[in-house]
Amino acid sequence: MRRREVPGKGKPIGEPGEFDLEQMEKETEEMLKTFYLNKKNAEFSRTKGGFLSLKLEEQFYPRVNVVRMFPFREMERYLSIRTADERSKEIGVVKDIWDVDSETRNMLREQLKLRYFTPVITKVISIKSEFGYSYWEVVTNQGACRFTVRMGGNAILHLSETRILIMDIDENRFEISDVEKLTASERRKLDLFL
Amino acid sequence: MEGEIEQRLSVSLKKVLREQGILDGKIRYVVPTDMNTGGEYADGYVIVTEKRLIAALQPPDKTKVQIFKGYRKQVQAEDMHWAYRSLPLNEIEEIHVEDCIGCNLLVVKAAEEEHTWAVFSNFHKRRMTYLARNLGEYLHSGTFRAEEVETEEYCPKCGRMYPNPHNKLCPHCVSHKSVFYRIIGYFRPYRMKMAVMMLCILASAALNLVWPYLNGTILYDYVLKKDDAFLEKVGINDGKYLVALFLVVLAMFLSKLVLLGAQIIQGIVSAQMVINVVRDMKKDIFRKMGELSISFYRNRQTGNLMTRVMSDADRVTGFFVDDAPYILVHVSTVVCSVIVMLLINWQMALLAVALFPFLLIFNILLRPRIWVAFGKRHRAESSLNHCVHDSLSGARVVKAFGQEEEEIERFFKCSNRLRRTEEVISYWQNFFHLFFNGAQELALVGVWGLGAILILRGAEGMNLGTLITFAGYVGQLQGPMRAFSQISQKWADSMNSAERMFEIMDAVPEVQEPSQSISLPVPKGELTLRHVTFGYEVNRAVLKDINLHIPAGSVIGIVGKSGVGKSTLVNLISRMYDTQEGVILLDGVDIKRLSFGELRRNVALVSQETFVFQGTIAENIAYSNPEAPLQDIINAAKLAGAHEFIMRMQDGYETMIGASGKGLSGGEKQRISIARAILANPRILILDEATASVDTETERLIQHSLNYLVQGRTTISIAHRLSTLREADYLFVVDNGRIAEQGTYEELVKKHGIFYKLLELQEKALAMKGLED
Repeated sequence: MRRREVPGKGKPIGEPGEFDLEQMEKETEEMLKTFYLNKKNAEFSRTKGGFLSLKLEEQFYPRVNVVRMFPFREMERYLSIRTADERSKEIGVVKDIWDVDSETRNMLREQLKLRYFTPVITKVISIKSEFGYSYWEVVTNQGACRFTVRMGGNAILHLSETRILIMDIDENRFEISDVEKLTASERRKLDLFL
Repeated sequence: MEGEIEQRLSVSLKKVLREQGILDGKIRYVVPTDMNTGGEYADGYVIVTEKRLIAALQPPDKTKVQIFKGYRKQVQAEDMHWAYRSLPLNEIEEIHVEDCIGCNLLVVKAAEEEHTWAVFSNFHKRRMTYLARNLGEYLHSGTFRAEEVETEEYCPKCGRMYPNPHNKLCPHCVSHKSVFYRIIGYFRPYRMKMAVMMLCILASAALNLVWPYLNGTILYDYVLKKDDAFLEKVGINDGKYLVALFLVVLAMFLSKLVLLGAQIIQGIVSAQMVINVVRDMKKDIFRKMGELSISFYRNRQTGNLMTRVMSDADRVTGFFVDDAPYILVHVSTVVCSVIVMLLINWQMALLAVALFPFLLIFNILLRPRIWVAFGKRHRAESSLNHCVHDSLSGARVVKAFGQEEEEIERFFKCSNRLRRTEEVISYWQNFFHLFFNGAQELALVGVWGLGAILILRGAEGMNLGTLITFAGYVGQLQGPMRAFSQISQKWADSMNSAERMFEIMDAVPEVQEPSQSISLPVPKGELTLRHVTFGYEVNRAVLKDINLHIPAGSVIGIVGKSGVGKSTLVNLISRMYDTQEGVILLDGVDIKRLSFGELRRNVALVSQETFVFQGTIAENIAYSNPEAPLQDIINAAKLAGAHEFIMRMQDGYETMIGASGKGLSGGEKQRISIARAILANPRILILDEATASVDTETERLIQHSLNYLVQGRTTISIAHRLSTLREADYLFVVDNGRIAEQGTYEELVKKHGIFYKLLELQEKALAMKGLED
């Protein structure tokens, strides 16, 4: 009763030739390859709206995003340049920021600085733990900050033995780049999280 | 309302904007911002009036303190250096919030170009998202939606913002006192036992107090010194010293016997009470965890939660059983002993207590350190639990990649961390013990010395018996001293665990059962989704404005690439999560108004992740209804295509599976899950990739049996293998969080859209490789 007439399998449906397997395989092929951008093939420029545009051979992308592939380990290498639409497709990869000219380097750095904004904690004033949360008062390279961290979750990430990423309850990020550079009394305040 | 919105705006900015004539028309929305485009903190606002969009910004000022959620708002001095820009609303083509890693951008499209209009931290993300959405809606409809009620609230007591606005609990103001009373609440059912315990404790305390007098003054000074006056007082005449001695020894023996008895009774009673209280607490935590929504589990480690169920309840009771009842006894012992000592000889008494104030100060000073030590141990324990859990559940992968050694290394690292924290704790324990006992021993030596000097000098009322009695009283302080040396640690341990325990118990489930639910007398299974929008995070909508209608009794297929939100959609229907916007209606009733029982009876979900519990196959199939007749279990298994493989097993339907039993293949587990859902006999059956691990033949079989099953039942099926959806009445193609296409199989094929492309790709590619069955 619910069975329907099913179009024959394997047979092309609709007009033949409309479905281009070759085209599809070419796309797949492209997805597998990594395309590297450098000063020869890519031309970045700032847009009026504060973003970057990219001219890549004949193609022009009015707005692209710069995304780090390894945001903690490689700050200036393996930068994925992606379209800014919802699908966010990779256009190419800047393998090393030194592969592009100095002006482009500045542009990329500006974008990264904003996108990956993470204050670095230089001084710990106080950390108080209370009922499942801890209240932090710190000084960062961006000025003094006060924020709250949920305990017992994944709010504190140990990037290495000495480098810590802290996420507050809204997931704002703060970083301690080297715990050992803090004073002994600051480390004691941090003790619970080390 | 307007006044309230306007009040959020800083006075100086309002003045500047008014002077410039920018702030015209009614102010609709105001959201503060905290960054500039250069990647620095800078205060600012985004303002929407009826005519324009305004962004105002102050120059960055690193001397200002940046306040984030959880802290109290602070009024900070602001200057008049406002930079602002504005855009007439009619020039806005599009507006949205973009989520970067370290900040968020309010992006406005005007004159065909996207502009970063404002930059802000996640602190303001939620409200800015609403602003963008509301303004976007206005651009379409021309009417302003009233601003969302502000959910961020502040603790009335200390002014700090609640870390979780749904759970109005200020961590700062939940005092230890209230935690203390809540724990006491768990002991209330065992009042009688408590009373017995207290009685025993008091009895032993009283006897302890008498003891030094008995074996000191009475024995030495009265009996051995043959004090007739005293003996006559107690009714022993004629110098019957041996009788007196016998009586004293008897009294000493009896008092020790009573003491022992009291201690045994107390031990038994308290042991019984503790296990009961711990069990009650564990039950409460576990029940609460069951009530909590899936979202709660999403951002917590299993190991951490396990620690909370398994160890925290045990630890909480530690202080309350081992220490709290004795505090009174110890305090009174100390007070009484000191009074008696003062009466005997005040100089020696002062010497004995001279060190007390130092101990107190010492205790207070070190308390925070101990608190941290216990917190650290909890973390280490959690991570060890997590490590074990991880490694065991990933055993297959570990083996496949030959990483056993590395796993052992990882485990060792974690357990080493735990060892270190335990070491720190025992270090403190020993330290305290040493300190308190040392002080007491010192006092004792001092007392003996001073006493000897006093006796040598022939001080009045000073003789050997008195000195022994006195020393006995100093000795009495030993017990309380040892207890006091532990009390602050035990307290820290208990409270530390209690906080974590109550944090779970106080968590408010995001998906809540309505207080007054509606019941569906004759459920039909008709589903309607209206304007459903949902994202796991506020800003990242996975589903956007979904509208669909599923008539009762139909078979629906949901198709789309992976990650487009298909599973999310069915999770919303079974209310694992609540929609952010829009409603889901079951037979015309909002599912949020149905009780969980009602909803679960009517909607059964077979998800991608199959799970079998430990038990027999029959028990697993009858999970939703353990009372189900065997005939129904067999039927369900047959319909799920599971009967044959079950019968090939040694013990048929009573084969043990799950943790300790026989292993099942992925496809077999899936069929058990389907049988489970079929037996539940819901009006709506949701199959989320439920046949993905099943071979094609069995899949056909299941598809076929579903056709029998679907009489008067709504079936929603998500499948990657499009061929399995041929028999569906209607298909929805989800793409990028939206319904991109819908129609019958034939309609979609004719349409030559996404579905056609997917189908062609699958069939052609498979046909070319000769893989299609």
